[in-house]
Amino acid sequence: MKSVKNKQWRLGVPRALLYYYYGPWWEAFFQALGVETVVSPPTGREIMDRGVGLAVAEACLPVKVYYGHAAWLAPRVDVLFVPRLVSVEHKAFICPKLMGLPDMLRAAIKDCPPVLAPTVDLARRPDEGLQAAIRAIARALDVRVGEAAAAGETAGARYREWLARQREAGAWLGNGPPGGCPAGRSPSPGEGQAARGAVPLTVGVIGHSYLLYDRYLGLDIPNKIARLGGRVVLPENLAPEAGERACHQLPKRLYWTLGRKIMGTALYLMEQASIDGLIHLTAFGCGPDSLVGDLAERYAHRRSKPFLLLTLDEHTGEAGLNTRLEAFMDMLKRRRTA
Amino acid sequence: MSAIYLGIDVGSVSTNVVVLNQQCQLLTSVYLRTHGQPILAIQEGLRRVVATLGRDLEVAGVGTTGSGRGLAAVMTGADVVKNEITAHAVAASYAVPGVQTVLEIGGQDSKIIILRQGVVTDFAMNTVCAAGTGSFLDQQAARLGIPIEDFGRLALGAQNPVRIAGRCAVFAESDMIHKQQQGHPLNDIVAGLCEALVRNYLNNVGKGKEILPPVVFQGGVAANAGMRQAFSRALGTEVIVPEHFGVMGAFGAALLAREAGPKVSSFRGFELTEREFRTGGFECRGCTNHCEVVELKEGKEILARWGDRCGKWSNAVAV
Repeated sequence: MKSVKNKQWRLGVPRALLYYYYGPWWEAFFQALGVETVVSPPTGREIMDRGVGLAVAEACLPVKVYYGHAAWLAPRVDVLFVPRLVSVEHKAFICPKLMGLPDMLRAAIKDCPPVLAPTVDLARRPDEGLQAAIRAIARALDVRVGEAAAAGETAGARYREWLARQREAGAWLGNGPPGGCPAGRSPSPGEGQAARGAVPLTVGVIGHSYLLYDRYLGLDIPNKIARLGGRVVLPENLAPEAGERACHQLPKRLYWTLGRKIMGTALYLMEQASIDGLIHLTAFGCGPDSLVGDLAERYAHRRSKPFLLLTLDEHTGEAGLNTRLEAFMDMLKRRRTA
Repeated sequence: MSAIYLGIDVGSVSTNVVVLNQQCQLLTSVYLRTHGQPILAIQEGLRRVVATLGRDLEVAGVGTTGSGRGLAAVMTGADVVKNEITAHAVAASYAVPGVQTVLEIGGQDSKIIILRQGVVTDFAMNTVCAAGTGSFLDQQAARLGIPIEDFGRLALGAQNPVRIAGRCAVFAESDMIHKQQQGHPLNDIVAGLCEALVRNYLNNVGKGKEILPPVVFQGGVAANAGMRQAFSRALGTEVIVPEHFGVMGAFGAALLAREAGPKVSSFRGFELTEREFRTGGFECRGCTNHCEVVELKEGKEILARWGDRCGKWSNAVAV
C-alpha cells in the first residue's frame, strides 16, 4: 500500500449496491476515526456507461453501475473501500456477485488503487464476525483496535437511528436514504395527490434498496408513482419483524438476506387491505430476484392483489416503463371505482 | 352539426384516427403508416377525417394514446392522454362486453390484458423481444416474396405446419430458411411460423396469465387469418376479432375522451393540419446525465419539451 500514513488516506466509497443499506454506518465509522472519505456522486449516465463498459457481461446492472462508481473514484482517492460482505446475519448470505466485488474490481479497473476489503461474515457467530471485520480495518488503517471498536459503536448507533427515521416516515416523502438526484426533483409531500381529491392509491414498491433509491439506475420509480397520484410505501418504512414474520408462511427459509427481506415485505404488504397494489422492481440478471420475483407474483395472484413486475437492464426504455406504470395506476383506480 | 370525439393512436408503425359520434358509433377511421414521421402522419390523418366528414364538425373531445401520445396531445390539444393498455382494454370492453382476455399485437409491441367484470386485473407487455409482432411478420412476408395480405390465407391452406423455433426472430428466420431448403411447401412454413409466434407470445407475454374466454384478438396482426387460427387452436377456444380490430387503440382513446366529458374541448382545430410543426433536439449539459431533450415547435413558438429527467426544460414551457 501507499507510503502515506494510513490514517491520512482518502478513502473512496462507491455510492452503489450495499452503500444504500450500510452507507450511514460506514461514513459514521470512518468519521469517528478521523479518516477522510469520498463518496462517489449519484449515478448518472457517465458513471453507468463506464460501468457497463468495464463489467463482465453477465453481471446484473447494479453490479455494473458499481464498477462505474469505483472507476470514477479510482484516480481521486488513495484507497477504495469495498467491504466483502459475505453475510450480515445468522445463517443467511449476501449474493456471491457482491462477495466477489473486491477481486472483480482489481481485475477490471486499470490503475486500480489498493482496495480495503475487510470480510464481513456474520453467518456463524454474528458478534465475533463484526469484531473481526473491525479488527481487520484497524490493522489496515494502523489504528488501535480499541479505537476502532469505539468507532464501531458510534456507527452502529448512528445506523440504528437512520433505520428508525426511515420507518417513522411511514410512507416515503422523497427524503429517503443516501443518494438523491443530481438535478434534485423530489416530490413535495402530497404532490399529485391533491389533484385527485380522493384518498390516494397506496402502492407498495419493493426491491433492492440500490434500485429503489438510486434515481438514475432505478428510473426514479417511487417518484414517478408519486407524480401519478400514488402514495408509496417502501420496504424501509416497515418494521423488519413484520416481513420476517410474514416469511414464516413460506415452505422453506430463504437464505439470501436481501431476497428474504424483499419477499417478507411483499408478503406483509399483500395482506394489508390499505395497500392497493404492489410493484416489484428487479434487475435483469439477478439470480435471487429471478426466484423471488416469480414467487412474490404467485402469492400476490392467490391473494388477488395487483402486482407489477418490472425488470431493469441497461437497455430498458423509459417510455415502455412509463406506459406500464400509467396502466398499472389506471388499473388500480378503475378497480376502486368499479 | 353534431358533436364528435377524436381518438388518435400514434404507434411505432401505424398512426390511427377514429371519429365517434355521441352514441359511440364509429363515423370514420383512418389507418396510416407512421413512417417515423408522427407529425406528418397526425396531420394527414386529420386531413382525411375532414375529407370524409367535411369541415362542419364540432369536436367535443380528443384522446391520444400510443407511444407518440405525448407529442400528439401537445399538437392537437388533447383532453385525455392515455397509455395504450388502458385504451385497448376500454375499446375491447366496449366492442365485446364481458371480455376476459385481450390479445393485442401491433407493429412493434404485443400485450395481453386480463379483465374480470369489465375491470383490468392484470396485464403484460413484451419486454426484450419483438418476435411475433407485425414488423417481424412484414419482414418475413417480404423475404418469402408474398404480400402480407396473402400471408394468412396461405397459412390456412397448410396440411402439416412445420415446427419453427419462435423463441427469437433471428433464429426463427434461420429455421424457416432451413425448412425451405428441405423442400417443405410454403403453406406449411407460413402456418408453422404463425404457430411458433403464438407459442412465443403465450410463453412470454402470456406467461402465468389466466386466459379465459371470451378472448378478443386485436391490433394490426389480427388481420392475419393464420394467426387467428393458431391462437384459437393453441387456446382451445374461439378467438373474437372485433370489427375495428386495427384501430382499437384510437377507438379506446376516443371513448375515454367521451367518458372524461370535458365541457369545452381544448382541441386546437383542424387548421393545425396546415401549420408547420418541427421537432428539434439537443443534449443538456446541465449535469452528468446528459439527457436528450426534444422540443416541439410550431413556427417559432416552442410548444413543449420532454426527455429531461429533472424537468428543467420541460417545466420551462408553459403548456
